[in-house]
Amino acid sequence: MRVGLLVTCLVDLMRPGIGFAALRLLESAGCEVVVPNGQTCCGQPAFNAGDRKAARALAEKLLGEFEACEYLVAPSGSCAGMIRTHYPGLFADDERMRGRVQALSSRSYELTDFLVTVLGVSEVPGDFRGSVTYHDSCSGLRELGVKTQPRSLLARMPGVELREMEECEACCGFGGMFSVKFSEISGAISARKCANIQATGADAVVLGDLGCMLNIEGRLRRLGDERTRVLHVAEVLAGEDA
Amino acid sequence: MKSQAMFFKARAGEKLADARLQVNLRQARDKFVDGRAAAVGRYVTDLGGDFEALRDAGAAIRDRVISDLDVWLDSFETKAVETGAQVYYARDGADIRDMVVAIARRHGVAKVVKSKSMLSEEAALNAALEAAGVQPVETDLGEYIQQIDDNEPPSHILAPAFHKSRDQVADLFARTHGRPRKTDIPDMTREAREVLREHFLSADMGISGGNFIVAETGSVALVTNEGNGRMVTTLPRVHVVITGIEKVVPTLEDLTTLLRLLPRSGTGQDISNYVSLLTGVRREGESDGPDHLYFILVDNGRAGLVGSEFQPMLRCIRCGACMNHCPVYQSVGGHAYGWVYPGPMGAVLTSLYTGIENALDLPHASTLCNQCGVVCPVRIPLPDLLRGLREQQVERHLRPWSERLAMRTWAWVARQPRLYALVSRVANRYLRWLADGDERIRVMGVAPEWTLTRDMPAPQGPTFRELYARRMRKNKEEN
Ligand code: SF4
Repeated sequence: MRVGLLVTCLVDLMRPGIGFAALRLLESAGCEVVVPNGQTCCGQPAFNAGDRKAARALAEKLLGEFEACEYLVAPSGSCAGMIRTHYPGLFADDERMRGRVQALSSRSYELTDFLVTVLGVSEVPGDFRGSVTYHDSCSGLRELGVKTQPRSLLARMPGVELREMEECEACCGFGGMFSVKFSEISGAISARKCANIQATGADAVVLGDLGCMLNIEGRLRRLGDERTRVLHVAEVLAGEDA
Repeated sequence: MKSQAMFFKARAGEKLADARLQVNLRQARDKFVDGRAAAVGRYVTDLGGDFEALRDAGAAIRDRVISDLDVWLDSFETKAVETGAQVYYARDGADIRDMVVAIARRHGVAKVVKSKSMLSEEAALNAALEAAGVQPVETDLGEYIQQIDDNEPPSHILAPAFHKSRDQVADLFARTHGRPRKTDIPDMTREAREVLREHFLSADMGISGGNFIVAETGSVALVTNEGNGRMVTTLPRVHVVITGIEKVVPTLEDLTTLLRLLPRSGTGQDISNYVSLLTGVRREGESDGPDHLYFILVDNGRAGLVGSEFQPMLRCIRCGACMNHCPVYQSVGGHAYGWVYPGPMGAVLTSLYTGIENALDLPHASTLCNQCGVVCPVRIPLPDLLRGLREQQVERHLRPWSERLAMRTWAWVARQPRLYALVSRVANRYLRWLADGDERIRVMGVAPEWTLTRDMPAPQGPTFRELYARRMRKNKEEN
């Protein structure tokens, strides 16, 4: 099975280990993984800034790079959500393109969703030991229905103890450009998220979107929490030496 | 009401710093969010209902009306006139003010009692009535508190004064009523009721909103919790209903569907304390009801939305669920939004009804988390509408040029893979240089607002692209 890995622009820039972890998970599940070389960004920042034209141009570019793959997989609910739920609407006025886009959209998955729903994975290579709490990122949860998938994979790991936090489905306050346009409001929202995380006493908060990760980790550290680790679910599932 | 929406950011800052408001906001959130969840749960477990199917049905009813609005308004008007009412159409706030003042003059009205009407807020009606020598008295407890507090605007569409603490209200009552200060809530409500009773009995005219108007019967439906709505609409000689043209529903059957959705979504009640269905003027032999009944059905920008990408907004039944569940509203409260309607629905309505150029911050003051969209009883895709407004701002050149330039440059670079690889590598090195061996960056030169409230974790190492290329080379060498 030929799977195209969309690394995502933030993973590329900030935390390459997540990309390699995704690679390892897919390969150990028996996929042939390709990482299209020209990939950059799915266009979500432009889309959410109201720049449809730019978003569409980037969507066309991504389509060219991934169309040949059987599946597109991204270690990010918001990028996968962009492709799956918003790409088709960008081509509402272009029937030919819309057909192509829809064909790719319907084959695009968030990583844990792909592992569980498409591959039916029951074993993961990771050997993480400790307590974790899971933050449901907005796009993954509300655009793609990613909820039980990461939890069911974590449950396969004997060393992992999952402690659910209060309001695990509430937004962390990131919101892309929102986090810099309204930094103080964003900070207030993430303070509550951090408090909920800390109240579980878990060693790590685990999640599936790099935007939320940067926000939550940055806020925890600013609030003086040096203890709680912030991990991408792929890192936990794949193990350290990914 | 004059919009202050352009000052969203400054006001939001004040609200975040207001400790008392923050406590009240937290209580309200817990009450409304948990309340809705429990009410939806009861609907499923106790009644065996399917709340998601109910939301579908609610949305379908609203869509059916809106796509044939003129037809349904016509049949409503015919029925209402048959029952002795008069139906007026107001184009905007000025029309509302003129019509209400004219009605008051026609019937020699000196005092008006009001139950909640958001349209009267849109029109800033109270000031117009006062100028015309008519005394308006708000009788919804929350609205009354706002009125006696120097006409402060409401901060929530259901609970106008919930940003105030009990102590603040106690002071306000003591000052306004000239009676000993009370702090026990039942005592305070009793006092308000006594004061208001006098007004009910001496008023010549009642003004109410209308949650729905029913085409089948020509009736208005009022959903309230305090019972003041009943007094306002039955005691005075004249009753004026002011509501939006989009509030019409075809049949009583449709009304029941929407009534299942509204209180559960908004206040978390299975049903509100009062649901009043008022039809026509008082007839021979009836003991209650007005002698004159007027409907003022208001456009104020609504008709223009039909057929546009924003049409779904007209489904709104003003339940308040979207704001109750919104992380931004939960943080700053309603006043920051600057006009009549706060929260996600307010960000959309304020932009559409007062002009996109007069509310530039509002569509951006959202994380697009879609918590609003998943609780909206009529499935309004609020994040899509907010994004649509952002698009309009871009198309109409209303965004700052620096922002546009940055976005365009970034989008252009993102289309040139080789250049992009170089730029991301440079950015990566720059961030690592800023971190200077630490795991985090405390102050960033680019997007400094980020580090206003949080650190920026440092990049883990080189970019994925570089590392992956290295790995591929190594694999090749090994083979
Ligand atoms: S937009 Fe939806 S959730 Fe918000 S007030 Fe209107 S009906 Fe309620």
